[in-house]
Amino acid sequence: MEGTGLAFELQHVSFAYGPEHPVLNDVTFSIRQGSWVSLVGPNGCGKSTLAKLLGGLLAVNGGTIIVEGTPLLKETVQQIRPRIGMVFQNPDNQFIGATVEEDIAFGLEGRCLPREEMVDRVKRYAEKLEIGHLLSKHPAELSGGQKQRVAVAAILAMEPGIVIFDESSSMLDEKARGELLDIVSEMKQSGKYTIISITHDAEEIMASDRAIVLRDGGIAADLKPWDLFQNGELLDSCRLIAPYRVRLALELGKQGIQVPLDRSGEEVADALWQYVSSK
Amino acid sequence: MAICFEQVSYAYDERSLWRHSALEEVNLELGKGAFAAIAGSTGSGKSTLLQHFNGILKPTSGKVRVLDFTLEAGAKQPPLRELRRRVGLVFQFPEQQLFEDTVEKDLCFGPLNFGMTPAEAKDRASKALEMVGLDDSFLPRNPFHLSGGQMRKVAIASVLAMNPDVIALDEPTATLDPQSRAELAVLLSRLQREQGKTVIVVTHRMEEMLPYVNTWILMKDGAKVFQGPAAGLVREAGRLEKEFGLAVPACITTWNEIAARFGLEAEEPCLTPETLAGRVAGLLDERKQGIKRDGSG
Amino acid sequence: MRNKLLFGRSIDTGSWVHSVDPRAKLTGMVLYLVAIVIVGSWLALSIAAAFSLAYMAATKIPLKYYAKAAKPLWVLMVFIFVVQCLTVKQGNVLWHVGSWGLYTGGLSSGLIAASRMALLVSFTAILTFTTTPGLLNQGLAGVLAPLRKIGISAQRLTLMMSIALRFIPTILDETHKILKAQAARGADLKEMPWKEKGKMLVSLLVPVTVSAFRRAEELVLSMESRGYIIGAPRSEYHLLGWRLRDTWFVLSYVVLVAVVLMLRLNWS
Repeated sequence: MEGTGLAFELQHVSFAYGPEHPVLNDVTFSIRQGSWVSLVGPNGCGKSTLAKLLGGLLAVNGGTIIVEGTPLLKETVQQIRPRIGMVFQNPDNQFIGATVEEDIAFGLEGRCLPREEMVDRVKRYAEKLEIGHLLSKHPAELSGGQKQRVAVAAILAMEPGIVIFDESSSMLDEKARGELLDIVSEMKQSGKYTIISITHDAEEIMASDRAIVLRDGGIAADLKPWDLFQNGELLDSCRLIAPYRVRLALELGKQGIQVPLDRSGEEVADALWQYVSSK
Repeated sequence: MAICFEQVSYAYDERSLWRHSALEEVNLELGKGAFAAIAGSTGSGKSTLLQHFNGILKPTSGKVRVLDFTLEAGAKQPPLRELRRRVGLVFQFPEQQLFEDTVEKDLCFGPLNFGMTPAEAKDRASKALEMVGLDDSFLPRNPFHLSGGQMRKVAIASVLAMNPDVIALDEPTATLDPQSRAELAVLLSRLQREQGKTVIVVTHRMEEMLPYVNTWILMKDGAKVFQGPAAGLVREAGRLEKEFGLAVPACITTWNEIAARFGLEAEEPCLTPETLAGRVAGLLDERKQGIKRDGSG
Repeated sequence: MRNKLLFGRSIDTGSWVHSVDPRAKLTGMVLYLVAIVIVGSWLALSIAAAFSLAYMAATKIPLKYYAKAAKPLWVLMVFIFVVQCLTVKQGNVLWHVGSWGLYTGGLSSGLIAASRMALLVSFTAILTFTTTPGLLNQGLAGVLAPLRKIGISAQRLTLMMSIALRFIPTILDETHKILKAQAARGADLKEMPWKEKGKMLVSLLVPVTVSAFRRAEELVLSMESRGYIIGAPRSEYHLLGWRLRDTWFVLSYVVLVAVVLMLRLNWS
């Protein structure tokens, strides 16, 4: 599904909040269109700042960011921003409209879309996110998971090619978190989006194509999620914990039992049954 | 019994148009020194339940007994001060409630309110900080300059500083990074095991509390629908998702699959990778020995 | 805790009042305000009350909700009533305490003043109950549009208002939670002497302000990432169309003002 073009190209990017607070130093990497990249690292490693730089909400101090072929500059930022949608952590603080439909329409109004187009998109994307029945609801009447769906619908309605999730699942309960992960996976599958997620969530990282590990303002590693979860030292430095099935596979390995790693619960049970039967 | 609820109901905005009930005839008993966890979907009443433990909310009907205090709907309310000291309540995102300019002052706020002398309060502050795994070097620091995880620990310590017998926390690990969450779970478990505190947490991440909790309470639509140890929860796994709107932790699904395959349903479930791997290795040994025995016999 | 603050919360019953153009509603409200200010007699008051009740009934929203909306201001109403009773010295004396007497005129104007207040508040609720804040903003932007001529951006004003309306309940909820948390740490506002309450307020102000700023910051980020540029042209999601009914709606208020004004002039 990955396109041939590059969604992002970062060359020697650095950023500081004033001279005493350097955040990013000489960061270089690129992201393919249509891929799903996790940005991970300990708190304060600069990943949220990087997300804001990518979204054009902050300007680099040094280096360049090229978005789908266009350099991100003061002059081009207004033209590039519509291609990038951002979903943030707190579902309450990104609910701008007074009702669900007004919130989804907010970004569309800024694009000066004709009313019929707006009504159509609000309806279409609300239904896609299964919040079609909530259009006239106020944020106070919604659960955290529902509000986060509204946030995603509001972003997707603007039809961006790139969507950045900045810790978007961290305030949700376990069930809503799973549902959001399904939504993002579906977005990835559609092939229409380049997805960047900043997250601590093991399952979310595991579902992505690639993990970029940030530490002390630079890139500490750039690898497959799978390799990240087998590297204990790297995990500790990012303060991450591997998904349960990976930890189980590693523990089984210590007992001398080799089971293919990437399995669901049922498959692990089957594989173990076969393993035990064969001895 | 540290905590005993008898037919407790609670309605927000009682006597108003917007009355909506949050708890429905909850009966609950928790022993001294228990580590209990309350789980349930959004709006199931778990936070409301928690706020009854120290009289922040009073039942609209029924009776709540906590330690030697009784709060009964309709009855005259006893002074709550001592109850509040002995039952520490940590709200969600407690770091957002810090307000002093040093960690020490924030930690002393509670003890001073409960009439301790400044010297006593400082002593308690330092002890509480130690309990959450931070040393005295944090005392003079500005809480707003700490990392998220450290702020959370300081905020929890500010309740521990009152030296409560019971500590109740609402989603204490929410938004922390995975390792901080695991550390916090261990820390709470230590408070229970080593300090003899009764610990109650509201959580939606069942997996991280499973190894430590000895009583699980599941809430749904304001009613208690389950109370029991992890083993019972594992047997109810099918209902968790369908009926109670909860995500079933991977450790439970995996155990259930393996238990079904190997006929281990009656056993105490192994819910950590270490114990489960050990159990599987044990099965393998049993089997080998079984084969040997068959061969020799 | 939640739902206590009714302001800025619309209740959709689908009545015809709901579908009146928000600009007409805003104009109507201003006219109503004028009428209430000039009400001076029991007759005028009862006409205004009947008018209000008719509109309230037309919204199909239970009257109890309107009563509830006025409730937070009852202290103010009692205050106005008492002040009038204490100061107005007209008509017969009903009751003597030393040199002070309660006059029928005082009682009457006290009651009128308090009822005016109650009417005003509960009637303004019609506007917020029947109009979603988004529509209200758009209506306000329409009414305020002429301000552009003197260099004030109506869009900016209404955006500020809508964000305030949107976040006041959230911040109140949060304040409530912090109050509970402080109570859990032995600082219960209800059990505290007045002197201590000041200290308590400080302990509340810091976290509430910090959190309001954090929210504001995140909101700005979210708005910016959704392409919001202050002053840039925008299309409108809600379609406003002035219909004949809207004109009748406004006219009904003009009539009310005229009637009340006539009564007032005759009275004096």
